[in-house]
Amino acid sequence: MLPELKKINEYAPLDEPRTVRLRFCKKGALQYISHLDLQRTFVRILARAELPLWYTQGFNPHPKLVFALPLQLGTESVCEMVDIKLVRDMPCEDLLKRLSLATTAELDFTDAYVPNSKFADIAAAEYEFLIECDNAEKMAESISVVLTTSPLTVTKKSKSGDKEIDIIPLIRKVEVEAEEGACRILATVAAGSNENLSPELLVEALRKRLILLRGNEEYSILRRKLLKADLTEFR
Amino acid sequence: MFSSSILKSVSKPGRYSGGEFGQIIKDKEKVSARFAFCFPDSYEIGMSNLGMRILYGVLNKEDDIWCERVFAPWRDMEAKMRENGLLLTAHESGDEVRKFDFLGFTLQYEMCYTNVLNVLELSGMPLYAADRGEEFPIVIGGGPCAVNPEPLADFFDLFNIGEGEEMLPEIVRLYIEMKKKGATKAEFLREAARTISGVYVPSLYDVTYNEDGTVAAYTPKYPDVPAKVKKRIVEDIDKMYFPEAVVMPYVETVQDRIMLEVFRGCIRGCRFCQAGMIYRPVREKSPETLLRQAECLYKSTGYDEISLTSLSISDYTRLAELTDGLIDWTNEKKVNLSLPSLRIDSFTRELMEKVASVRASSITFAPEAGTQRLRDVINKNVTEEDLMRSASIAFGAGKEQVKLYFMSGLPTETYEDIEGIAVLAKNTIEQYYATPGHSKRNPQVTISVSCFVPKPFTPFQWEAQDTIEVLRDKQEHLKTKITDRKIRYTHHDARVSHIEAVFALGDRRLSKALELARRADFAFDAWDEYFDFDKWMQIFAEAGIDTAFYANRQRSTDEVLPWDVIDVGVTKEFLIREKNRAYAEKTTPSCREACSACGANCLGGKDTCCPNSKK
Repeated sequence: MLPELKKINEYAPLDEPRTVRLRFCKKGALQYISHLDLQRTFVRILARAELPLWYTQGFNPHPKLVFALPLQLGTESVCEMVDIKLVRDMPCEDLLKRLSLATTAELDFTDAYVPNSKFADIAAAEYEFLIECDNAEKMAESISVVLTTSPLTVTKKSKSGDKEIDIIPLIRKVEVEAEEGACRILATVAAGSNENLSPELLVEALRKRLILLRGNEEYSILRRKLLKADLTEFR
Repeated sequence: MFSSSILKSVSKPGRYSGGEFGQIIKDKEKVSARFAFCFPDSYEIGMSNLGMRILYGVLNKEDDIWCERVFAPWRDMEAKMRENGLLLTAHESGDEVRKFDFLGFTLQYEMCYTNVLNVLELSGMPLYAADRGEEFPIVIGGGPCAVNPEPLADFFDLFNIGEGEEMLPEIVRLYIEMKKKGATKAEFLREAARTISGVYVPSLYDVTYNEDGTVAAYTPKYPDVPAKVKKRIVEDIDKMYFPEAVVMPYVETVQDRIMLEVFRGCIRGCRFCQAGMIYRPVREKSPETLLRQAECLYKSTGYDEISLTSLSISDYTRLAELTDGLIDWTNEKKVNLSLPSLRIDSFTRELMEKVASVRASSITFAPEAGTQRLRDVINKNVTEEDLMRSASIAFGAGKEQVKLYFMSGLPTETYEDIEGIAVLAKNTIEQYYATPGHSKRNPQVTISVSCFVPKPFTPFQWEAQDTIEVLRDKQEHLKTKITDRKIRYTHHDARVSHIEAVFALGDRRLSKALELARRADFAFDAWDEYFDFDKWMQIFAEAGIDTAFYANRQRSTDEVLPWDVIDVGVTKEFLIREKNRAYAEKTTPSCREACSACGANCLGGKDTCCPNSKK
């Protein structure tokens, strides 16, 4: 399948497994694939690409994959990341070449590098929302006000029960623009294991508050960047 | 394609969003025929079907044919479609199915028939073939249920009897030629019936019935239409097309693994088993071919499991060669081997060690009946000793769970045979404790008992199915005989099996019931959550159909059967001989031990064990 590339055993073995970070997009149809399904898909993509993976030891050996920040179903992204472990010295350009043959354009690998940061450092994420609406100018104004005025409460469902939360403290930055028949929102919100705002929750809060929104308009969400606590880009 | 608000509002939207790796996209302006291949059940079930994987590849390797996939939308999606006035579309292009040249259904089990009609309706097509004009696709059916297609005959234009690898492209090829010449659908259908072997066009036959409701005759409307349609086979399956790449589902499916078809047919001849009869003659692939295909499939899919699929895998003549060849590289790549069906008379420790993934703590065997007498009646050709030896191998290797499959309601079955099931389970538990080196945990034996459904083209095709009451009484009786808590007992719903029998053994008059079932919004009847027996009985009553006539009636061997219009190779004389041997409690040797002159050698086939094969 990969005739123009070196054979796996032509890459030198490493003394210690090496962690490599892969950056990828999850677009179009792929946004409807859950995180669990994505994990399973990844194992197969990596096998198709014939990457020299390190396997866990034990009864059920499997490649070790660590994802940066699971993406909610229905959200697209251009900044997904996963860490894999390799046992051979395969250059990143070869890695990307192999991966590009093993996947589709909607799950596209854009970068591969040896990371010098930890996923625990992720503190925020930038999302772009595009909400179809009539009277976009007026809507954009209202959205700006709503997203900057505390409290904006929404019911957060969790295993321990539903609770009302104010999402304004979780919003770091917000810009709203009116477009032809739609509002575009660029929002930086808390993300990661400490504090996290699901982008769907933001849409839900808007719908709850704004009578202008009918509740059935089409909208899309795109994750654009992962950020550190100081809001510089996480790599 | 569906809008994002619809996709976000339904369960598992990944079933509808498409975009899978390996799907085939063509330029619709540049192809001559478009084929919508439908598996009439959910995406997860359909994507697991090997036949669909094969035929998708077979059609798409033709440059001018584009085959796409279609599945039955789950009921929540169906509601959204109806609410928004959306018609059913094909998976790859998102184009409406009704605009295609062909809509093909693979018919794998009777309980999917209500989905077939629902798919037609959701596509915006009239249900009855006679009501569909030139603008609608030609509706084709194939798969195991097509050997008795009669309950569906009025809804289909054409059926494929037998293997589709060669027949299906021939049909589409003929269509392309005739379409160019401006032929009508009727002209095409007649030409296909006349010239392509294995094609059955139900509208070209008149069916008459006797006063007692049985079939009087099937008469072709034209002299050039075959009076009996002979099943089509692929002569040389070693050289046959087999897909070396497949569409990779993102959502988890039932058979999320490589399926490697090792051989076709079965040498055994269990008398209840339709597959064992209709896929004859047995034809094997060579290990060389299989090893090459397995490796290609691994590289193109990245799956971590290979399942060797065939009716009775341990009967493959070169199994050791194949498994050794696979293990050479699968271990290193961390790929598991799995074998779906292991016969207890050929189960060995060596075989188990090759295939047993360490994960599985359970192993399944199918003695099918509880006593030797009944196992002889059904020609299972295994003994209690075989079971104990196999169970002992499994226990000795650290497994503590065994699952045993049985059937209840088999011809000549007595309550003693039923009690035999409980005895076998109990003896298996005892075998566990008698096996040196068994695990420290408590053993568990699960007995799963299905209900016998008489099937066309089996020696039991004339049998009456036990009534629901009798089947239930037998199920209850068995329950009282199981006292050990280490034995788990499950059984099928006798009411589902009753409906299955009606459609398996049915004729064209059942189309009325299927139409009414559609009007009453039946779908997904293979799923417990949607199967409603009482509603089914109302439908049959409304259609004037007595289900006992089809399911619970003992037929005489000289009765004209609705499926007599089909010739699957095995002859009626053979089936009658086998039926008589069953009643005499006599077994029949496997094809490899001795030929029992079943008749399937008339179909030909390379690398069969049949003497005097056609060529």
